[in-house]
Amino acid sequence: MNDPNTSSQESGFLSRRRFISQSAGAGLVLAAPNILKAAEKGGSDKIHVALVGFGKQQEVLFAAMKNIPGLHFQAVCDISDWNRKKGMNQVRAHQGSAPEAYVDIDEMLSAEKGLDVAVVATPDFWHSPHTVKCLEAGLNVYCEKMMSNTIDGARAMVKAAEASGKLCQIGHQRRSNPRYRYTFEQLINGQKIAGQLTNVQAQWNRSLGASQDIGGKKIPKGVQVDEAILNQYGFKDMHQFMNWRLYRDLSGGPISDLGAHQIDIFNWFLEAQPKRLYATAGKAYFKQREHFDNVLCLFDWETKYGEVRGFYQVLTTTSSGGGFWENFMGTEATIKTAEIAATSAIYRESGAPSWDDLVGQGYLKKKPAPPKPAATAGAVASYESAAPEEYDLPGGLPLVTTKDGKVIPKPAHQPHLENFFASVRGQATLNCDARHAFESEAPIFYINESADKQAPIELTEELLSV
Amino acid sequence: MSDEATPATEAPAAQSKESSCESTLACDKLALLFGSILCRLWLGVRALQTGIEKYSGQKAENSEVEAGGEATGLYAGSTEKAYSLEYYTGVPEGLRSQFEAEPLMIGFALNIFDKLLGPALIVMGITLLLGVGSRISLLAQGLLYTGLTWGLILLNQGSGIAWLGTHIILIVLALNLIKHDRLVILKKW
Repeated sequence: MNDPNTSSQESGFLSRRRFISQSAGAGLVLAAPNILKAAEKGGSDKIHVALVGFGKQQEVLFAAMKNIPGLHFQAVCDISDWNRKKGMNQVRAHQGSAPEAYVDIDEMLSAEKGLDVAVVATPDFWHSPHTVKCLEAGLNVYCEKMMSNTIDGARAMVKAAEASGKLCQIGHQRRSNPRYRYTFEQLINGQKIAGQLTNVQAQWNRSLGASQDIGGKKIPKGVQVDEAILNQYGFKDMHQFMNWRLYRDLSGGPISDLGAHQIDIFNWFLEAQPKRLYATAGKAYFKQREHFDNVLCLFDWETKYGEVRGFYQVLTTTSSGGGFWENFMGTEATIKTAEIAATSAIYRESGAPSWDDLVGQGYLKKKPAPPKPAATAGAVASYESAAPEEYDLPGGLPLVTTKDGKVIPKPAHQPHLENFFASVRGQATLNCDARHAFESEAPIFYINESADKQAPIELTEELLSV
Repeated sequence: MSDEATPATEAPAAQSKESSCESTLACDKLALLFGSILCRLWLGVRALQTGIEKYSGQKAENSEVEAGGEATGLYAGSTEKAYSLEYYTGVPEGLRSQFEAEPLMIGFALNIFDKLLGPALIVMGITLLLGVGSRISLLAQGLLYTGLTWGLILLNQGSGIAWLGTHIILIVLALNLIKHDRLVILKKW
């Protein structure tokens, strides 16, 4: 299973029993997602891309794709005139020629010849139908996470990808982030600097201001979509179209929208799926919303380290605790990872072996010690652990020069897209194909259910398999 | 008494100096020549370098970080300023997207303006600095700044409009002084 030369065809015909037997143990395939053999495509050919959906997330992806050479954006598809026009303008400004524009994906797939790739960034409940259609039409697909708003939708994507033999990368972009990969491959597995991992913890806390409904009460005329079109594509009205993340039939809510990225990292780094979870959640502030505004979830894993327990929270009413990050807590160190480099850090336990040698070899950089806090009458010194030393990674993502001569850190989504397009060219293997994304996302589909039932859920093999 | 007497005794000398300048016009001519050159020089440099800066950008330098003698996939980066045709940006991207959203802005006109802005500024800068058809160059520069002003009016950017307004005042001043300018290659136009 860990053989990187295993083809997608082979993986598509894995029996369920074989899959379970290989994934149920601690050495789950989650840790080695480079399973799919890349599609064969000439190294110098242009890759012809269809952009399916051109909302805010596609803009983020497009900004990253603009830095990747050899792409031709052939078509843009969106039901919104505003989004479609925006997409066409951005593509034209980038490549000098406008793409073909479509309202309907079926029309696009039947009319457009020579497409190689679809980049799907539509609302979650459309991910699975759109991805399946594109795969069946013979396109390789990059689809935003969460794979679907339902586990059956996600299952359909895995089956379609494996039946078609085409590539399907899911947008868990941290999987290709060099900082995350270095932390996992070199520090945790290579140098084993955390010792025995025993606990994980992560949060995505977002302020009230950033969690408000999009669009407000008065949506400009130019942005509005005809009601008949909205209804045809599953939206009740403009509010649903702009705020689909708030509706149960259209998305998994904050735990899947924000939490999926980080729970994926739990499963990737621990090389396992959780055995059980228990969530509590509610509508503390946004009482009219269908989804919970605050979700807290406990997980239990059986891993190669032994038992690991974890806690995850997504709060949409406060940015407390520094936004979003993940903590991997071991007997010798805590590794704090985050997509924002400045938020990450590595803390050495005072009793752990010295890391001077690792610093000398370039594996880590030592941060200056913070000022020692003054002793207070309320603290009992003998009860406290010594403050851990703080370290940092030795580098970060490369800087890139944009087409108009600006230097920016490589956009966070770019490495994952580069990995996808390199795989399409046959020069790499996917870092997060549909099957591995499914394994990682599957537990997330049960978090809202646990909170609804106010009961723990045993995550059996049947629940977590395709 | 002496305080009152002093101005009375100095006044004739000052009057004599002024009338000397008026009679010969030597002082004014020199000042007007300097004024016209400075005005032309300032506007020429302003246009030329602004045009050249449209081709400037930052070049990223990355060195891959090694640990234990092997590549890590991580980078240490630095930047340096560079000029290249491929860095050309006429209308800055932030402004461009705002213009595109304006209903009165015509798409193809924006594209033409975007493509011509940098080269036009460079040409105007060179002709002004060399003194080739200075009147036409100043008129063209004034029209260009008026076009930019119209765009900023659409976006309600008061400070930018005022800033361009000072350029127009300088252009009008330069046009007024141009007849005194002798250090030119082509005086006509």
